[in-house]
Amino acid sequence: MQEYKRIDITRDQVVPIAEKMRKAGVGLVMIHGFLNTEGQMDVSWDYAVEPVIESYHVVGETVLPSIGEIYDCAATWPERELNELFGVTFEGLDLSQRLFLPEDMLETQGKGQIMVVPLSELRARNIREEE
Amino acid sequence: MSYIVPIGPYHPALEEPIHAKLYTEGEIIKDAEVFVGYNHRGIEKIATERNAIQTLVLVERVCGICSHSHALTYAMCVEQINDIAVPKRGEYIRVITAELERLHSHLLWLGVACHIIGHDSMFMHIWDERELVMDLLERMTGNRVNYAMVTIGGARRDIDDDLRRDLLAACDKLKAPMDRIVDIALNDKTIAMRTKGVGVLKREDAIRIGAIGPHARASGVNVDVRRDSPYSSYDDFEFDVPVVESGDVFARVVVRALECYESIKIIRQALENLPATPINNGNKLVKIKQGVAVCRHEAPRGQLTHMVVGNGGFNNHRLSVHVPSYKNTPTVPFMLRDNAVADAGLIIASIDPCFSCLDR
Repeated sequence: MQEYKRIDITRDQVVPIAEKMRKAGVGLVMIHGFLNTEGQMDVSWDYAVEPVIESYHVVGETVLPSIGEIYDCAATWPERELNELFGVTFEGLDLSQRLFLPEDMLETQGKGQIMVVPLSELRARNIREEE
Repeated sequence: MSYIVPIGPYHPALEEPIHAKLYTEGEIIKDAEVFVGYNHRGIEKIATERNAIQTLVLVERVCGICSHSHALTYAMCVEQINDIAVPKRGEYIRVITAELERLHSHLLWLGVACHIIGHDSMFMHIWDERELVMDLLERMTGNRVNYAMVTIGGARRDIDDDLRRDLLAACDKLKAPMDRIVDIALNDKTIAMRTKGVGVLKREDAIRIGAIGPHARASGVNVDVRRDSPYSSYDDFEFDVPVVESGDVFARVVVRALECYESIKIIRQALENLPATPINNGNKLVKIKQGVAVCRHEAPRGQLTHMVVGNGGFNNHRLSVHVPSYKNTPTVPFMLRDNAVADAGLIIASIDPCFSCLDR
């Protein structure tokens, strides 16, 4: 079984940790995000400190620093994805292009709706639009 | 003269939808941009209303080529959260299926690459040999595409003595055609002329952008999750990780061709040492405990990552799926620079992209 280690940090530690990891040659596995059971945004930066995944979590923040300068597209793609799915803002991130969601959906429903609004409500909205 | 040449999202040179904008000077690409998101199906959102067994079925539909990889990685996450130990025989069966999947995926890509460079006889020859692997998968799992071999806590189907003997015989039978394919891939003039020095990804760029899997290994980056963070008993098997330094399309052909031998080696070891334990823990539906798990699997195209968040109920609180093409697609603009427009289709295809996987 692979090992997963959760470490809680503050938003100010995000960039220094990324810089330290990059310097040590550690790969960024992914930047993940979810709304926890209390409804707070939980964003994690997962690094492959082989054979363990070290997962640095910031809870309750929706404006976070971008680490795109350090990890290039390995960071900017997940940051753009989290912006589209949850509406998390990454400071300094170029958001001039869409990533996954259709442009018309982003225009009509806005960013950060998909993973936040319950599926039943999204379905109801689509039915109303079709009518 | 400067031109902007659009390719895709639907284009004869592409197997799946991606949009690329090529900024050219005459025939030469000076810069490029890629756009994805034409296959977004909201699978992660749907998963929030599915239990663990239903999600296994759902995640297999993320991709037709590496469906087992998705089911395996998802199951590993749930097993990690719930602390479920998988019986050894179940793990070995998962490995055998994963390596057969790698074999058919690599042969599929080698065939497609030959087709794109205009070597259609080689394309048909490779796909003919791939059918042997597809037949084995069908015999073992009952399916050619979505294998449904994984359940939470093990494997769903056993390998009996007859099948085991036939699979071992097939490993021997695959050796001669693989030798022929590798010989042609490495020594054929047509393949060399169309692939050597084309679409180079430098090692430093591969590391910086986070390329993974065979694509990274073809640029001299020695990474493989099966060896670096072993799971599902991979540490029981001896295998090599082929790494090539040149970083061009030819290197990607070589790495994938050589990896086929390693997969056969692993399948043989697993079959010869198949443990006499149960294959699963009873195939029961479990509640996903409160917690987070992130697991990785070396899928045919590279590291596949799933994150599962449980809240103590049957359904996933959150499922996040990130596939190898997610990491490899951003390398495409770097590979396209200073190449001819005519090679763009081949260069994009050389990462073995799966945009269906990428978009989810």
